[in-house]
Amino acid sequence: MKLESAVVISNTKVYENTYVTWFHAPELASGVSPGQFLMMHCSNDRRDPYFARAFSYHRIDGERFAILYAVVGRGTAFLASLTGGDIVQAYGPLGKGFRLPGERGNLLLLAGGVGVAPMVDTAERAVAAGHAVVAMMGARSAAGLLPAGHWPADVEYITVTEDGSSGLAGRVTEALGEYQPWASRIYACGPNAMFRSLAEVLRHNGRHQRPEILMEENMPCGWGMCYGCAVFTRRGVRLCCKDGPRFNLFDVFP
Amino acid sequence: MQPNLQVDLAPGRKRDLVLKNPVMPASGTFSWGFDFAARFDIEALGAVVSKGITRFPRQGNQQPRVAETPMGMLNSIGLQSVGLDAVIDDLAPQWSRWGVPVIANVAADTVAEFGEMARALDGLPGIAALELNISCPNVDAGGIEIGQDPVASGRATEAAVRNTDLPVIVKLTPNVTDPVALARACEDAGASAICAINTVLGLAIDTKRRRPVLPRARGGLSGPAIKPIALRMVYDVARAVNVPVIGCGGIESGEDAIEFLMAGATAVQVGTATFANPRALLDVIEGIEAWLVREDVADVHEIIGCAQPQPV
Ligand SMILES: Cc1cc2nc3c(=O)[nH]c(=O)nc-3n(C[C@H](O)[C@H](O)[C@H](O)COP(=O)(O)OP(=O)(O)OC[C@H]3O[C@@H](n4cnc5c(N)ncnc54)[C@H](O)[C@@H]3O)c2cc1C
Ligand SMILES: Cc1cc2nc3c(=O)[nH]c(=O)nc-3n(C[C@H](O)[C@H](O)[C@H](O)COP(=O)(O)O)c2cc1C
Ligand code: FES
Repeated sequence: MKLESAVVISNTKVYENTYVTWFHAPELASGVSPGQFLMMHCSNDRRDPYFARAFSYHRIDGERFAILYAVVGRGTAFLASLTGGDIVQAYGPLGKGFRLPGERGNLLLLAGGVGVAPMVDTAERAVAAGHAVVAMMGARSAAGLLPAGHWPADVEYITVTEDGSSGLAGRVTEALGEYQPWASRIYACGPNAMFRSLAEVLRHNGRHQRPEILMEENMPCGWGMCYGCAVFTRRGVRLCCKDGPRFNLFDVFP
Repeated sequence: MQPNLQVDLAPGRKRDLVLKNPVMPASGTFSWGFDFAARFDIEALGAVVSKGITRFPRQGNQQPRVAETPMGMLNSIGLQSVGLDAVIDDLAPQWSRWGVPVIANVAADTVAEFGEMARALDGLPGIAALELNISCPNVDAGGIEIGQDPVASGRATEAAVRNTDLPVIVKLTPNVTDPVALARACEDAGASAICAINTVLGLAIDTKRRRPVLPRARGGLSGPAIKPIALRMVYDVARAVNVPVIGCGGIESGEDAIEFLMAGATAVQVGTATFANPRALLDVIEGIEAWLVREDVADVHEIIGCAQPQPV
């Protein structure tokens, strides 16, 4: 974990209420594994909001990194207003990220809503390591989908919308179809409801795929000090920020 | 010249409690110390204060456990803890290798249990003092019921003091009308020092769901929002007792800490500020030192309790 002032390089609306902001911050961008996160202060004076917000690393490029976020409250509204040259305080990288397999495999990445944020970095690294990657993203409608151009070229990108306005109709977990048996490993990030139904779908035939998920909890500190982010697992109480945010699906949703 | 920052929180006791500077974390905001030690110099701190230690391991409360509030937070962690045995077997041996005193924060359900736990921790390498948490608002039994009653507070203090040679600090709740009566009862029962304050009872409502945000409804308010309450209590208590007072509540800078020292605190604890700024403890230490240098104060004792009421 390093504390650093991150300098805004660019800030772009990529779809609906969702933005990608690039920062220059050599310390924050180094030694990051996919699925890790950082804590970013969403104010100029660290007064309001008082606590930093957790954001997954969305992409990393040398000394620069990007976050992807949906504007839902005070912190993210502040971030959306940033422009090039603005400075925010942040600390990271934090938590435990995905464990990508050592040997070449078929990786299925599942994203629900803003849970897509860490999946692009994960896909980039997986492709670079020689894995075959299918990424599925679910949203309510086409307007809530990350445009295909944001994924690495070698990734097969499948979209799933509840209203059928783009790609397959339904929810990600209903649309797994042929991709689930194809996959050697499954990685997911999204709302708990998605994890619950994923566990349901995989309960009988997907355990060997050792699905890993990134969870979200209230995180005042992000580094194991406050115990606010407890996750109740089959193996006992864990801290989302320190023991996670990566968990084995079946430890949390048995 | 470097000002003297060293303070003793148990002068004249069987065992002293000398801190190289008057700054330590607040219990429950620093876990067991290892996360900080892995990233910063733990020996830069005046002392370390452990998370609340319970007799047996505890899971803590369900989610949500925290709610952000203006300049602070409500918590209802519910004393998630590893339990006394793990502290004795695993944690204390590691603490004994640190060049910084570790204060064990003890949370018991009954007066007798405070005595038992004090005995179990007595003489254990790695533990320099006890801090009795008679003021946790987030559990059903013990804690606050003892901490709101001067007689019971005195008995809990006495039970601990009788069972250990370690200095015993008693941590007070602000959720009473007369904190001075509590402090006097603890002093009379043998407390080496008084710590003020624990969290202030509060509530947050989720308007969308039309119910309290926290499952147990009430939570403990902490952070800069409670600083004036904490300062007032430290001021009142310090004028009423002869033992050292440790100030706690909303401290996030050297300037904040100086206010508590002037109100009568001999040392301070930094809690919630560490969540917002991982360096908060170090910032407070550096800030105190810079203030003393700037104001040409050679010894921190010169300002302890210097803020007295003006004659009318
Ligand atoms: C490990 C981890 C990684 C994360 N990664 C990301 C990420 O990559 N991208 C991302 O966008 N978020 C991410 N989050 C969530 C993020 O930390 C923030 O909680 C979130 O962005 C909201 O912050 P805020 O200050 O804007 O909302 P706050 O003001 O703090 O509001 C908190 C919550 O209340 C709700 N809310 C607030 N205002 C409204 C409103 N007007 N109407 C309806 N609901 C409302 C929202 O659901 C919001 O999440 C992550 C969280 C964790 C724990
Ligand atoms: C998340 C959290 C957990 C806490 N746990 C304990 C505890 O176990 N024992 C205790 O005596 N005080 C506990 N406290 C109270 C703090 O030690 C401190 O008294 C209070 O938060 C006020 O200081 P602050 O405003 O600097 O945080 C806790 C506070 C918070 C915010
Ligand atoms: S966010 Fe504080 S312990 Fe995890």
